[in-house]
Amino acid sequence: MAPLWHCVTGPGRTTMSVNRRRTTITALVFVSPWLFGLFALVIYPFAASLAWSFERYDMLRPPEFAGTANYVRLAEELATGQRFGQAVWNTAYYALVSVPLSIVLGVGLAVTLAWNVRGRAVYRTIFFLPSVVPAVASSVLWMWLLDPQAGLVNYLLSQLGLPTPGWFNSTAEAAWLPGWFTGNGGLGSKDALVLMSLWGVGNFMIIYLAALGDIPPQLYEAAELDGAGPLRRFWHITLPMLSPVIFFNLVMGLIHAVQAFTQIYIVSEGQGAPAGSTLVLSLYIFLSAFKYLEMGYASAIAWMLFVVIVLVTVALFRSSRRWVYYQGVGR
Amino acid sequence: LSGTSSIGGGANRRGMAAAVAGAALIVAVVLLALRQDRDVRQQVPSGRSEVVFWHFWGGKDRPVVEEIVDRFNASQDEYFVRAIAMPGNNLDLKFFLSVAGEDPPDVINQDDPIVADWAHRGALVPLDELASSEEVARLSGWLFPAAREIGGYQGRLYALCNGLDVRALYYNADVLAEFGLAPPRTIEELTSAALRIAPPDSPEPHRRFGYLPDPRRIWSWGIVFGGQFYDPASGGVTADSKPVVAALDWMASFSRQYGAETVARFRKGDQALPGAAFPLLEGRYAMIMDGQWRVAEIAAVQAAARRRGENVPSYGVVPLPPPPGGREDAGWVNGNFFVVPRGARNGRGAWAFMKFWSGFDGHEAEAARACAAGGWLPASQRVVDHPKFQDHLRRYPMFATFVALASSPNQVPTPSVAGAQFFQDEVIRAAEDAMYKQIPPAEALRQAARRVQTRLEAERE
Repeated sequence: MAPLWHCVTGPGRTTMSVNRRRTTITALVFVSPWLFGLFALVIYPFAASLAWSFERYDMLRPPEFAGTANYVRLAEELATGQRFGQAVWNTAYYALVSVPLSIVLGVGLAVTLAWNVRGRAVYRTIFFLPSVVPAVASSVLWMWLLDPQAGLVNYLLSQLGLPTPGWFNSTAEAAWLPGWFTGNGGLGSKDALVLMSLWGVGNFMIIYLAALGDIPPQLYEAAELDGAGPLRRFWHITLPMLSPVIFFNLVMGLIHAVQAFTQIYIVSEGQGAPAGSTLVLSLYIFLSAFKYLEMGYASAIAWMLFVVIVLVTVALFRSSRRWVYYQGVGR
Repeated sequence: LSGTSSIGGGANRRGMAAAVAGAALIVAVVLLALRQDRDVRQQVPSGRSEVVFWHFWGGKDRPVVEEIVDRFNASQDEYFVRAIAMPGNNLDLKFFLSVAGEDPPDVINQDDPIVADWAHRGALVPLDELASSEEVARLSGWLFPAAREIGGYQGRLYALCNGLDVRALYYNADVLAEFGLAPPRTIEELTSAALRIAPPDSPEPHRRFGYLPDPRRIWSWGIVFGGQFYDPASGGVTADSKPVVAALDWMASFSRQYGAETVARFRKGDQALPGAAFPLLEGRYAMIMDGQWRVAEIAAVQAAARRRGENVPSYGVVPLPPPPGGREDAGWVNGNFFVVPRGARNGRGAWAFMKFWSGFDGHEAEAARACAAGGWLPASQRVVDHPKFQDHLRRYPMFATFVALASSPNQVPTPSVAGAQFFQDEVIRAAEDAMYKQIPPAEALRQAARRVQTRLEAERE
């Protein structure tokens, strides 16, 4: 049978049999709620936000055309490191630290739990459990755990004689290299967010575990016969065979990290506290649109975020030709 | 699809039947939902019109609110208030969306600086559309100046304040006595007491501080230092004026002496801790700025210690101590207020309820009872003077300091301008930048003032 698309729009429409027409109508009736949803909840807001990004709009009065004013303001704030610039930096910091760490930790856990040890299913369940805890509950839990004064984490660190970071109360940035030299190199609010995100690494781990199960055992047998040790087998077999899944998790992880909102909203008092150190782009969009009633400006930020995500994704796909190995396709 | 096509009309009919059944199911669910809605609405006593009331009160305050609503409903034969609690910090957003969606409640109680922002956009009904001009004029004189200012925008009243939130300096008298100190009356005394109780050069990490400023309280200290954040005459943002910069410089001096990281990790978030977890009661501070709602919490902790036969800790409260040339009895004030959204179906009923709770128009006894039950500060001297509230003051003597402050002309709210919430947040962010990131106070405030001025001018266009 010709695809449904041909039935609806193709030149054969006039000669379409009665049965086929009925089939088409039935199919459209079934998919119509989703088509309606697609247009009302995705395509219309998408197009509307693009139009609003060139307007001043507070959602109560009709929008007024503002030309490129919203984008000029974004460029100014980016250049001066003010709100938008701060949000871009915070988002980049969070994404670029949390995603690679989650991949390393996820692969490491998956490889460890792939060993045929006793109680393996129990360990897997334990590591996956945090992924099913609601985001709000886990955020509150982490706020208590990482409280610099009364938190369990700092208590344990102090018992071990280690420095106790300020976590969500601190503007320090561990990954900011000059910070190490200026004495501001402790672990701060963004590092606490990264730690929180790593708690949910069980999601990634499950995907890696499934991919590990798909690696043909004869590859390892052949490598062993050739005298390859565990590290070599991991480097030359496991990693290349996992690379499509790593690539998938990298792309999805980056998109999710750039759009992260719920947990950050909760731990940052809905403001990006302290001193804007957790003001990420999604939170900035929310505040601009619904607290400061600047929907036009918020739409411009959203579109910049969208463009950045598209560019990063395209760059990742292009780079994947060099490091992702697909079985049967070749490099 | 291929299979369906080959089987022919029978399958198609089954498909259509399934589609019709599905649609019928959806319609049935919608009808059931509407029927349920109608059932709920039928609970409104016959002959009375419903007033839908949204509020943010939760926890121990919610029963107090429900009791006020019950008393109003019992007093009425015309209106019936249905209170809907929306605890959390997103009531603004829900209210805003309901107005934009043209299905707002009849009245809302809120405490964020939204009156000017919303009035500017035509989202609020001015009170002179709900009441006679004589009544509004009488109301204006009835309210404390701060309560009047909180509810006003461009010369019209848009909100009716039912309670003020005023801040002062609480102190642990036992700790001050331990160091031979009296409650501070000037900023110098406060600073020297704070540094004596927690010397910055102490080799051990501090478990207790004398006093640490909260960045949000730049709005209070700026006023106490003699500054103003906005000049209504010129329409200019003056958040970077000398007194405000001096106030922030004084606040940042604690970060310079103790270290920004130390202040940040000790300070952030602890102001909101309720009850016995209030940092003053936990012994984490000898002095702390907070509002009148702490009076009842302190009394509860003292009563509990008395019951257990333990040593009863002694606390006191004084107005924020000013520097030379600063303002007495000064600070930042906010409050709880009622607003009626444009599109409300029962504005008259909302007005009747607002008057009942706030105490205006002969309802002072009800307001006094509500304020005593909730630990709230009345919006009018007439409510303060009512015997029921005077009983409350005798029971909680510390409350008197706040009552005296409530009538002070030096209690100043966030400027009533379109963009007030943005204004408030930007100044607080500047204080955070100065205290936690060591950005020079003058520079941080100058940048904030510039951003706010740009925003205000855009709103005026």
